[in-house]
Amino acid sequence: MGRLEEKVAFVTAAGGAIAGATARQFGEEGAAVACVDIVEENVKETAADIEAAGGKAIAITCDVTDEAAVKDAIDKTASTFGKLDIVFNAAAFPDPLLPLHELDLDIWRKTFDVNITGMFIVTKHAIPHMLEAGSGSFINISSIYGARSARKRPAYCSSKGAVRMLSKSIAVDYAEHNIRANSILPGPIETPRLLVANKNMDDVIERHRPHLPAARLGQPEEIAQTAVFLASDESSFMSGNDCFVDGAYNAL
Amino acid sequence: MGRLDGKVAFVTAAGGAIAGATARLFGAEGAAVCCVDIVEDNVGQTASDINEAGGKAIAIPCDVTDDDAIKAAVDKTVSEFGKLDVCFNAAAYSEKRHRLAEMPLDMWKSVIDVNLTGMFIVARHVIPEMQKAGGGSIINVSSIYGVVGAKERPAYCAAKGGVRMLSKSIAVDYAEDKIRANSIMPGPIETPRLLVRNPSIEAVIERHGTRLHQKRLGKPEEIAQTALFLASDESSFTSGADMVVDAAYTAF
Ligand SMILES: NC(=O)c1ccc[n+]([C@@H]2O[C@H](COP(=O)([O-])OP(=O)(O)OC[C@H]3O[C@@H](n4cnc5c(N)ncnc54)[C@H](O)[C@@H]3O)[C@@H](O)[C@H]2O)c1
Ligand SMILES: NC(=O)c1ccc[n+]([C@@H]2O[C@H](COP(=O)([O-])OP(=O)(O)OC[C@H]3O[C@@H](n4cnc5c(N)ncnc54)[C@H](O)[C@@H]3O)[C@@H](O)[C@H]2O)c1
Repeated sequence: MGRLEEKVAFVTAAGGAIAGATARQFGEEGAAVACVDIVEENVKETAADIEAAGGKAIAITCDVTDEAAVKDAIDKTASTFGKLDIVFNAAAFPDPLLPLHELDLDIWRKTFDVNITGMFIVTKHAIPHMLEAGSGSFINISSIYGARSARKRPAYCSSKGAVRMLSKSIAVDYAEHNIRANSILPGPIETPRLLVANKNMDDVIERHRPHLPAARLGQPEEIAQTAVFLASDESSFMSGNDCFVDGAYNAL
Repeated sequence: MGRLDGKVAFVTAAGGAIAGATARLFGAEGAAVCCVDIVEDNVGQTASDINEAGGKAIAIPCDVTDDDAIKAAVDKTVSEFGKLDVCFNAAAYSEKRHRLAEMPLDMWKSVIDVNLTGMFIVARHVIPEMQKAGGGSIINVSSIYGVVGAKERPAYCAAKGGVRMLSKSIAVDYAEDKIRANSIMPGPIETPRLLVRNPSIEAVIERHGTRLHQKRLGKPEEIAQTALFLASDESSFTSGADMVVDAAYTAF
């Protein structure tokens, strides 16, 4: 028996490292998964992996900032699988590393648009389906940089802080309908994304070393496992929480 | 396949509601469990429940503030089950409500001794065993009152805030030994304990009013499920975290 048997999940950024691992783990635990990403090839691959492993999945290519497309994607998920219970929100804009006064307003807007307004849009259209299903769980990917700052990432840090409070706001407003919302705050996770600003993974570890007491990066699967717990009924009294998965980064 | 197959757990307060439910769930998921509590009858009951359900358990009546007795209990666990890799710390003193100036010094000392120093004592004896085992997971039960204040409970709030930071300190210092440490912050959970300070469970619900967003108290099993996640290897990158299990109580 899978831990998410009978559940239907909508996973954004499912063509990426963390959400891809999460979508596959959800599939393995018995959920039917709608895999959503702006990059068609990658999201198709995630969905195909889930099906190849014996699970149920569809791939939907869509931009989380496009309200009409998101609404279609969510409605398609519910019509394909019969309902919607879980949303994993992880889309993020690969923002450049710049101090605030050198950051173009356009980049600031784009970062907020994808990282937080995208979540608002997905959530807005998912909630009616969850109200109909009688329960639901939102898992929103913030970051340790939603709780403490990183250098030269003013837009990323502020958008990830916003994710935390958005989750709490959803948690409070929809609790009476058995809809829960939690944030996951990953520490540095071994993903291709990190190589945008670093030469290699050893560099990343070196850079973060004072905050990585276990001297290693996290793996996408470790975020996925946390998401399974938050998606499942095992976490039925857990809502509005900031789930740090950071190898004690934020404890230092 | 249980999620804790092959693991050995040391559970304090296992005669009580929350740790009792946790010990039983650990047993059902395949761990061998050493059940510790100051009340002999209750802890014997928890261990026999686990054994009757087909699990492995022993009961050790012992006071967490007694350093020698805890050392002996840890040694007994290891000689019985071969090692020790999970520790769930939940012993707490049940004090009456007082504002600080009216609280007798002895009561303050009892609360700090059981709720905080007891966790230090247990940790100092389980850590060397976890080092020998090649890793481990320590789960300390704090409270939402380790994060926000409660009326007329100065010692409890101080102790539970202390527990929260104690976990982080262990997380940081022992990460290199692959020992993780996390806190759980339960919101109000339906347990006999609440009746020490309240006339009835209805009175508790009334007291917490609009902050009980699901319009109910939590159940001991919902804390147990969180502990299971933290005890298992699923949470391998989660350390130093505050797992708030309160249905958004403190998000509001
Ligand atoms: N990797 C880390 O160390 C780390 C740490 C903390 C937080 N996070 C967060 O985890 C999440 C996933 O990151 P990742 O490391 O897997 O990165 P990733 O780059 O592998 O994945 C991001 C995915 O989002 C997709 N995406 C971007 N814009 C989109 C849009 N408008 N609509 C739909 N999809 C869009 C991309 O195509 C990509 O597949 C992000 O929110 C990131 O901020 C990552
Ligand atoms: N019930 C709640 O609403 C709630 C909320 C937040 C936190 N907590 C915490 O959860 C933990 C468990 O509480 P519970 O609600 O199950 O209460 P409980 O009263 O059912 O359990 C507490 C247990 O601790 C044992 N104990 C007390 N002193 C001891 C000592 N010196 N040595 C060994 N054992 C001792 C008691 O015998 C009892 O079995 C406590 O740490 C409590 O502070 C409970």
